[in-house]
Amino acid sequence: MAKDPTYPNVQNRVELLQGTLDMLILRTLGWGPAHGYGIVQALRTQSGDVLQVETGSLYPALHRLERQGWVTSEWKQTESNQRARFYRITASGRKRLAADRSRWQQMVAVIGGILDGERKPQAEGGEA
Amino acid sequence: MSWLGRIFRLGHYDRDLFDSGPFDRRKAELDEEMRAHLAMDVADRVARGETREQAEAAAQREFGNLGLARDRTHGVWRWGRLESLTRNLQYALRVLRRSPGFSLTVVATLAVGIGATCAMFTVVDRVLLRQLPYRDAGRLVELREAGVRGEVNYGSPYLDLDQWRQRARSLEQIAFYSVNTKRVAFLEGNTGAVHVREGTASANLFALLGVAPAMGRGFLGRDAGGSVNPADEHGVLLSDAAWRDEFGADPAMVGKTIQLNGERLTVLGVMPRGFTFPSTGSVAELPMVWRPIVLGEDDFSHEHNVAPRYEAIGRLREGVTTAQADAELKTAQTAVAMSYDADDREQISSATVTPYTDMELPEGTRPALLALFCASGLLWLIACVNVTSLMLARATARQREIAVRGALGASRWQIVQQLLLEGLLLSGGASLLGLGLTAVMLKLFEHGLAAQFDLHERLVPNAAVLAALLGLTIVSALVISAWPALGAARAPIEAALRQGAPQQGMGRAQHRVRAVLVVTQIALSLTLLVGCGLLLRTLYALRHVPLGFQTDHIVVAHMEIPAYKFAGRNMTTELYQPLVERVKHLPGVESATLQTEVPLGKTFQMMFTFWAQGQSEDAKRKRALQAQFRAVGPEMQQVFGFKMLRGRFFNEGDTAGSAAVIVVNRAFVRAFFGDDRDPSAILGHDLIGFEEKRRSTVVGVLEDERQVAVAEPSQPEMEVSIPQITPKSMFYRGAEQLAMDLAVRTERDPDAVTAEVREAMRQASSDLAASRFTTMDQVVEDSFGSQNLAARLLEIFGGSALLLCLAGIYGLLAYLVAQRRREMGLRIALGARRWSLMWLVLRQAGLMLAVGLAIGLGLAWFTSVGLRTFLYGVKPADPWTMAAVAALLFVGGLAASLIPARRAAGVNPMEALRAE
Repeated sequence: MAKDPTYPNVQNRVELLQGTLDMLILRTLGWGPAHGYGIVQALRTQSGDVLQVETGSLYPALHRLERQGWVTSEWKQTESNQRARFYRITASGRKRLAADRSRWQQMVAVIGGILDGERKPQAEGGEA
Repeated sequence: MSWLGRIFRLGHYDRDLFDSGPFDRRKAELDEEMRAHLAMDVADRVARGETREQAEAAAQREFGNLGLARDRTHGVWRWGRLESLTRNLQYALRVLRRSPGFSLTVVATLAVGIGATCAMFTVVDRVLLRQLPYRDAGRLVELREAGVRGEVNYGSPYLDLDQWRQRARSLEQIAFYSVNTKRVAFLEGNTGAVHVREGTASANLFALLGVAPAMGRGFLGRDAGGSVNPADEHGVLLSDAAWRDEFGADPAMVGKTIQLNGERLTVLGVMPRGFTFPSTGSVAELPMVWRPIVLGEDDFSHEHNVAPRYEAIGRLREGVTTAQADAELKTAQTAVAMSYDADDREQISSATVTPYTDMELPEGTRPALLALFCASGLLWLIACVNVTSLMLARATARQREIAVRGALGASRWQIVQQLLLEGLLLSGGASLLGLGLTAVMLKLFEHGLAAQFDLHERLVPNAAVLAALLGLTIVSALVISAWPALGAARAPIEAALRQGAPQQGMGRAQHRVRAVLVVTQIALSLTLLVGCGLLLRTLYALRHVPLGFQTDHIVVAHMEIPAYKFAGRNMTTELYQPLVERVKHLPGVESATLQTEVPLGKTFQMMFTFWAQGQSEDAKRKRALQAQFRAVGPEMQQVFGFKMLRGRFFNEGDTAGSAAVIVVNRAFVRAFFGDDRDPSAILGHDLIGFEEKRRSTVVGVLEDERQVAVAEPSQPEMEVSIPQITPKSMFYRGAEQLAMDLAVRTERDPDAVTAEVREAMRQASSDLAASRFTTMDQVVEDSFGSQNLAARLLEIFGGSALLLCLAGIYGLLAYLVAQRRREMGLRIALGARRWSLMWLVLRQAGLMLAVGLAIGLGLAWFTSVGLRTFLYGVKPADPWTMAAVAALLFVGGLAASLIPARRAAGVNPMEALRAE
């Protein structure tokens, strides 16, 4: 179903890196409480329609985060009067987000450095 | 209804299917959450201008696989695994309920094995694994002297103990005590005189055991030697039970005065709850009192038989082994022995150190109990093998079901898990039933077990036993389901699905496995049955030992003597003679007699040690002479009807005023002269003096009789007549004040006589009314109680094994015949004789039996050695027993296979062929 060629965004989507979904969900919730659909929409908008979060991953992730105490949830009415479950980030969730973020930036810097850097000649055999 | 709605309807239906309570609410919430997600998506799309149908389809498409999302979210919840377990459990229950016959057979079979093992483990746990209520009980050791007559089991004098204390570095401390393990004392409590156990203790005994009084204090020591300070001489310590039962747990008990055997004593302290010492003996369940050991002049004498004797208990130093202490004590003992004169020295030339926990067990208990435990384990194994065979047959029948589950996506591990779970359910049910059987068995054998293994509390499975039962349940489940489960996991799915009829089976390999299982059962059953047969032959042999006296129509009363009430009086004339006269004149009583102990009574033992000076061979032999010493009434011969070899028995003319006479038995003559060629030679001998100026002469020689144990030959014995004993007699205390049995010969019903005799006793002295009554036949029967118990247990184990084994043979053959119905029909149609078909089945049965019996005989050859301690009059590898048992199993096995054989012969060829 997801491979439907008539759906315009399919070709442009990117797969999420393992482990980054949790971070993105926490970040989204950092702007304010949201329900599952809201999170998907927010991520899509923020990514310029590139990121399409699979619901098959989203809900397990939300429930996992809740079990770990990084988010809490409650049932509320939306503006359009739809009953939905709203998730809210907790204090420990924010700490987690900060930790994830600094690790992510570190990793981006390291991997970027390797991908962009010049090959240093002495690294090949020198130190032995 | 919209498409979306249908999906969620399906979701609800799905839930109903695997309804499992607590999970429902969260699942419903998740469904609602996802439904809201889709609804919002649809609403957004409609708002953007799509039609409702387009919006629903697109939203659904974008949401992806709803079931997968739901399942993966469920998986995040921790109890996802628990839920699948519950589901499997429910399925397993349904499967088992669907074939109740099979399930009940398996549960009942396993329950027999588990119940027997659990019951025996309860006994093993209580007897062999028991934790003594003392600090670090593993370091407690019993110290004994030993010499030419073996271990001295009546204690050691203080001077010797003191030497050990000074020399033995391997021992932290040595304490001493004495206790009358079989006799009771009379304590006057709030509710009249009651029986209690009386012991004496050195000052350091309780410290050595690591137990302090719960109230008050212990005995104060005089010096490092362990003697109690004379100031405490009239003090007494009470056990918790004595304090609670007799004094109503009086909180101000310490300092009060109590009466023990008529003596006024001051309570110094009360011991903690559950504490008793020593913890064995036939009256160990009684409340107990301890009196102090205050050393006196006699304790410091080296003269023969002057110093009182005490049991010695020591505590090993940390890290010292019993063997090291034993070696050290043996060295020290050489010096100790030197302080005695030559004749005494040879009795105590050595010493032994034994772990106290071993001393607590009567000799032979451990191997005997382990043998019985192994027998129960064997029965369990047979039950497991039997059930495995059933499970295999069932796995074959369920092949298609399992293949379908596999085809529907169940992984092999899931299938194995499912089968293991079924096994666990079955063995769990069996354990519950087995626990019931355990209780029944322990109840049935309560008397025998209590008597044999010295158990006084009621035997009930405790936490340790329940833990063992749980382990046994799991192991049973693994044993019975592992094989079928592995088979099922390995079996290819397509083949099973393709085969039309499930009864095509797994083919020859599986039949062979089941045949091996049946052979195993036959072999193991034979082992048990041989044990049972050996015990039955032992019992037969024991019952036919010529005892040398009559045992029928004799009622026996074991009396606890309230000697303190007769202090300063002559018990012979004031208690015993009037009592016997009264009993003799009861209606229907032919004769009645008193004696310190009836033959085989095992209630009291008084030994006479012969004393001979000099170093000649004759003198040495006589010094080694130890004789049973009994005080008996002149009517004894009328009651027991034993024979005189020479001379006469006591008669009415032997009184306190006439010349003192004694009677010995033939074994005594043999020990005295070295042979019994001329028994008359001992007549007229002067062996002992009654009083200082009153020597005695031997007037008669009794023919040998089995007075100690049925299985033991006659021991040297010496008898004196009760009417001749006066308070001045040297053995007055031993012969009259400690123990007395009344034996009554009567043709009447024992129960009716008992009441009248009891009344006569009550009139003689109120305390005697509490005497224990039995019959002489019962005394004899009790004297081979261990064999009786083992035989009864093995009868049950062996009988169950036989039944299981025959059921196993029948089951396999019936199954094979059912499988080969078509082949049989074809054979008959082609002209085979019916008897040749029967032969086909019987031949297979015969083959299995022959192989099983051959292996079983080999096994029995080894295992029956374990029963050696029980056997009498038959060797462990008795060929007759083995042959008889093998024949029994063979005939039984053929009989069991006759039914399927006849069924094979009775196959109607037309029906069998049409059935396909």
